[in-house]
Amino acid sequence: MQQASISEFFEKNKHFLGFDTLNRSIITATKESVDNSLDACEEARLLPDIHIEIRKVKGKTDELIMISQDNGPGIPPDSITKVFGSLLFGSRFHTIRQTRGQQGIGITGVVMYSQLTTGKKTQVISKVKQEATAVYVNIGLDTKKNKAISSKRRRDHWFNSEGEIIEHGVKVQAHLKAKYQRGKQSVHQYLRMTSIVNPHASLSLVVYDEEGEVIDEGNWPRVTDTLPHPVKEIRPHPHGLEIGSLQRFLRDSKERKMTSFLRHNFSGVSVRAAREILYKSEIDEARKPSSITAPEVQAMLEAFKKVKLLSPPTDCLSPIEDLLIKKGLSKAIDSKFVSTVTRAPSVAGGNPFQVEVGLIFGTDLPSDSPVEVLRIANRVPLMYQQGGCLLTKSIESVDWKKYGLEHPGGRGVPKGPAAILVHLASTNVFFTSEAKEALSDNEEVFNEIRLALQEVGRGLRNHKRKSKQREKAREKFELVNVILPEISAKASSILGREEPDLAPVITNIMNAIFSEEMSEWDSTEKVTKCSIKLFNYTNRPRQYTILATWPEREGVEMVNENYEGRREAKGLRKWKLDTLQPSENLEISFSIDGLSKGDWTQFDVFFRGSGDIIGAMKLDEKILEEIRREEMAAIEEEALATKFIIDDVMEFDTDSSGDLDSDELDDAIRGPLGDVIDETTGSEVVETHDAGESGTLDREEITDAISDKNTHQANLFSEEWSDE
Amino acid sequence: MDFSRDKTAESVISSLHQVAEEMHNKMMKGTAPTMSLPVRTKKNIEFNKRLGVFKYGKKRSLRDATSLRSANQLLRALHIIEFIEEMINSGKSSTLREMYYISEAWGNGKFGSQNESNNLAEDLEIVTKCMREDFKLRPEEDGARMIGDITINERNRKGDWMKINARDDVGDSGYGLPYNVESEKLRLIENDIDFIMAIETGGMFDRLVENGFDEEHRAGLLHLKGQPARSTRRMLKRMNEEWNLPVIVFLDGDPWSFRIFASIAYGAIKTAHISEYLATPSASYLGITADDILAYDLPSDDLSSKDIEALKAELTDPRFADGWWQEQINMMLDLGKKAEQQSLAKYGLDFVTDTYLPEKLAGLGLI
Repeated sequence: MQQASISEFFEKNKHFLGFDTLNRSIITATKESVDNSLDACEEARLLPDIHIEIRKVKGKTDELIMISQDNGPGIPPDSITKVFGSLLFGSRFHTIRQTRGQQGIGITGVVMYSQLTTGKKTQVISKVKQEATAVYVNIGLDTKKNKAISSKRRRDHWFNSEGEIIEHGVKVQAHLKAKYQRGKQSVHQYLRMTSIVNPHASLSLVVYDEEGEVIDEGNWPRVTDTLPHPVKEIRPHPHGLEIGSLQRFLRDSKERKMTSFLRHNFSGVSVRAAREILYKSEIDEARKPSSITAPEVQAMLEAFKKVKLLSPPTDCLSPIEDLLIKKGLSKAIDSKFVSTVTRAPSVAGGNPFQVEVGLIFGTDLPSDSPVEVLRIANRVPLMYQQGGCLLTKSIESVDWKKYGLEHPGGRGVPKGPAAILVHLASTNVFFTSEAKEALSDNEEVFNEIRLALQEVGRGLRNHKRKSKQREKAREKFELVNVILPEISAKASSILGREEPDLAPVITNIMNAIFSEEMSEWDSTEKVTKCSIKLFNYTNRPRQYTILATWPEREGVEMVNENYEGRREAKGLRKWKLDTLQPSENLEISFSIDGLSKGDWTQFDVFFRGSGDIIGAMKLDEKILEEIRREEMAAIEEEALATKFIIDDVMEFDTDSSGDLDSDELDDAIRGPLGDVIDETTGSEVVETHDAGESGTLDREEITDAISDKNTHQANLFSEEWSDE
Repeated sequence: MDFSRDKTAESVISSLHQVAEEMHNKMMKGTAPTMSLPVRTKKNIEFNKRLGVFKYGKKRSLRDATSLRSANQLLRALHIIEFIEEMINSGKSSTLREMYYISEAWGNGKFGSQNESNNLAEDLEIVTKCMREDFKLRPEEDGARMIGDITINERNRKGDWMKINARDDVGDSGYGLPYNVESEKLRLIENDIDFIMAIETGGMFDRLVENGFDEEHRAGLLHLKGQPARSTRRMLKRMNEEWNLPVIVFLDGDPWSFRIFASIAYGAIKTAHISEYLATPSASYLGITADDILAYDLPSDDLSSKDIEALKAELTDPRFADGWWQEQINMMLDLGKKAEQQSLAKYGLDFVTDTYLPEKLAGLGLI
């Protein structure tokens, strides 16, 4: 930036900055403002209300005014110029956690573009709660000095259109050479997608032409009042490390020993692992990090691959969550069926990532056109380069014909009245180009997305089958409940005879087992009431095990089960039923606590047993195996993490007694026990957890102490560590 | 030859009850109620040598309550049975159209369309071997009109017998047949004609009347009004049998007219159960034939794809199985043309009565 002038820089990099075409420029400008607003609101734990206004400028060709206003915390007066005038301002470029900010140059790009194309400055109003007045200022760029300059700065009260004072927020107004277009690649679509993947945000848009007539508008209110949980920073993981970064870390490190260097700067590395790494790379533990030579660095990288490390922590990720995606999609797109899935977090090349997928079916789209593809990376919609994106390729690779979408030749995007949403949340998203509109290939991510898509695909297939069966069942139910009794009554009346007992006639006509499930919100008890009714309309007694899906997760539990059930797998409950006699029916009922209205409106019912049940699906044992296997793997990983912590803790057994006394525990608490255990002194820990009453804690008692609380791997690297 | 006399009110009701019984018995046994009827398509029409007409064969179809649609049909059948029994017991009657509207009050037993209602009434006729007159049901169809020296007695609304001659006592549009032409309602008294000519179009009927064809050639003229109603066919049969009068049929030359002839001479597929009462096996087809189109070089139209389909279907219709019909149908297919009877006017208004008809009737040995 020192050598080239701003305008030259801009010209050269227009494409990846997002200002290469008139249509795209307004989208980029909106994107930058909205991203800033969302990030700021999330940090301040506020529910975002963001309004975008776009006006065509009268008398000028292709000039628009963009006004963006949020209710965020506001920018402190001293930082305003830096935020709007500096390319690299902001904490988000230095830490590793899931952020939107990776994907853009920031609002400064908008200020630059605005000035270069229209000569105008960007007007900013910012109010923080602590100050009595808001700051009004214009930001521009001094092209000679390559610096941001502010002008016309003043303080005043800021009022909204109703005359009420605004306590906190930011308003940005910029003139841009840009064109507003409607349709697929438009600000409208961008905001629509943004609202789906930020269900806690309320967004609105209004667009005016030169005469002040409204030519486009949109309103997307929030569907939840729950903010996404704050993302935590994590240290880099050795598997994702490049030689240059490792050298830099070593050079810059102030640590005095290699073991502490390894454990303090990376995630997933325990004491044992650190020792093993150094052993394998033939580096003495006591060496100073700054003394490591280039070949030794190389050896370390090799050793990283050979030593068993923990996966990086995944609470640095903020998935949208399947139930919220469902709510957001249902609100945005009219449809008959929505299925969403949030996969467990995973790791690719040292970077934690998480895949979420949504399939919405039965939309207004014509059935022979390609499905609408919604690609999201870290809660930011990707609007361009759909064909070259990893997310699209994953969609194309699934055999959709199996699940009920047309997929001619198995190539390309499937066709049908549907939309498919794919969200990749990761600490490090890799793009195909600087333009940052398409994700580059990655095998682990590709496979995870495929698995998720197959899961929602199965949901769609089940839904279609169920609908068809439902229709047939409905007809049959009408037949036996309405028409048959009338036939019986009329025939008997005509003949003057007694009416027959219809039960055997009904089983003769139906000759099937029926299952009907129902889910509805009880607003008095604030639970979701579910029931499964089973009818035996055959002439033989039947015995079945019934299973049902439910959103098993933290904070949600199943209550008021009338038949005792058991957990078959995560999110799958089973009931082994008694024999059902011919013409008999029974009802399984339960409630789900911890959800809100509209979260759980349909669920799948499966069965084990002979014959067919109309309205339920035979359990696919293979898929169940797969689910169990994934669960076991997660449990093993968790157990391994606990073991590593214990190993590290036992390192504090300085007198090698085999257990820890209160002094040794004091040290351990300042170390790996960190905030796993929140008692502050070793003696308190001993008192609480000394089951054997020995005055010290052995390995088992420590394990219990840790399992008592939630284990956060990130706490292995608490900032409160002192040097060993 | 009268049949309705055979059926007393009790026997009609008892036959209808049998339908309800089949359903009731099945339900008492714990199975779905059913109604069995003969299959009513051309695949199940057989020629009955003794009666000289086509009747339904042995194939039966079973309507049962295993689908919503057929269960509804069973319910409707029961409603009709109840309705008919009420009419018989209270001495009332109703048209098919009225019955269709009355069904609106039958809740789930109501009909979706007039056709459905008519078809079910026919189903009941077949199953019970009764006629709809026994059910006190009347059609909407128009009966034919006749002109000629024919004298009949018709019983009017008040129950009095009126003597009517179809030439002297009627205007230009002739005598209109009532819906019931059985002897309780209409008696054949006397005639002074040599044959009956049944004519398809009103235009041709009026032409022959205007030209005095009936007087000149001692004919009884009958306007069929397109697809002839049951009463029309019954009347032709009665006059043919009771007075021994030949019946000649003069229609347009196209596949649909061939079917009209077949329904007069051999029996209609829909009324095959009562063909022996409605068909006149000795009726002759005068024209327009395929070779007439050629011989007289008549103005003609191309056969449409539907016409061709109909002709091809007739090739396999048992009623057109004989050699002469097969020849005529194939000739028309080869020719690719059809012609209206009124196209004879190409040669002048009097050509039909002066030349065409005399030539054709001479060929049949009637004049």
